[in-house]
Amino acid sequence: MTDKEILDLYKSGRREAAFTEIVESYSERLYWHVRRFLCSHEDTDDLLQEIFIKIWNALPTFRGDSQLYTWIYRVATNESLNFLQKMKIRSALQFESISSKMEDRIDEDIHLDGDRLQRDLMKAVQKLPAKQRTVFIMRWFDEMSYEDISEILGTSVGALKASYHFASEKIKADLEKKLK
Amino acid sequence: MEIGKDILEKVGKPSMGVPEGYFDSLKSRLESIPSTEVSRRLDWGKVRPYLALAASFAAVLVIGNSVLRHTASPDPGSFESSYVEMVSFTSPSTIYNVLESEAEEVTDEDIINYLIESGVNPERVAYAGDIR
Repeated sequence: MTDKEILDLYKSGRREAAFTEIVESYSERLYWHVRRFLCSHEDTDDLLQEIFIKIWNALPTFRGDSQLYTWIYRVATNESLNFLQKMKIRSALQFESISSKMEDRIDEDIHLDGDRLQRDLMKAVQKLPAKQRTVFIMRWFDEMSYEDISEILGTSVGALKASYHFASEKIKADLEKKLK
Repeated sequence: MEIGKDILEKVGKPSMGVPEGYFDSLKSRLESIPSTEVSRRLDWGKVRPYLALAASFAAVLVIGNSVLRHTASPDPGSFESSYVEMVSFTSPSTIYNVLESEAEEVTDEDIINYLIESGVNPERVAYAGDIR
């Protein structure tokens, strides 16, 4: 079912049916999107529940100014970043660094099937500044267009391209250093 | 492995897994959200006694507020925080703010906001703010 058909279904009063269609269309995609930010299956599972509760509660306020697709990804991205921000503060309160915590998560993730270099790549992504990391995940992993990312993050395409360029250069340099 | 310009493509995207049957169970859990949320909201039988209690507290607060109105200073942040609560997860501008703040060090304000959000007693938060 297309986003337009889902919205028509919602407007016709069949709100729960429309929500079921949203779950069908987006749950798996959003899972991978959030998982790349959080690097943990368990946290992703918990946060996804929160995200879909927020989507259900916020659907009546969806005005159609943006596409349903970008709106849903905006909710998921925002919640993922908020989760990481809280995790960063918790780490600071325990005198730990968030990047070493994320590295531990990647090393301990039993659901990550990648080889050593792929784990290094994940760690390099986590070391990026937040903006670059977000753009890199959305562009390289999720293969989103710059136009869609621009609509989700509310940033210009030019700024996104620059962030992506810096991010990929840093990751390449990091990986090449590991290979030497 | 050959080192080159496209090392990213050579390394490839890490393959992540999930427990068997995970997405089926995830979908059924997520699809039950509307009924859970609706019943949570409409369980008036259980809520009514608490509502009555809350209403009496509210009455006390309204009366107290009217008495104290001339002495209390207005809280400029109250509208802002309730607004942020409503739109924070759907607004691209807040994503930008999170990205900005995440790029910097964790500030005292971040910690105080986090403690308040976590339900820590405001007096303790104020005390933590004083000793930092």
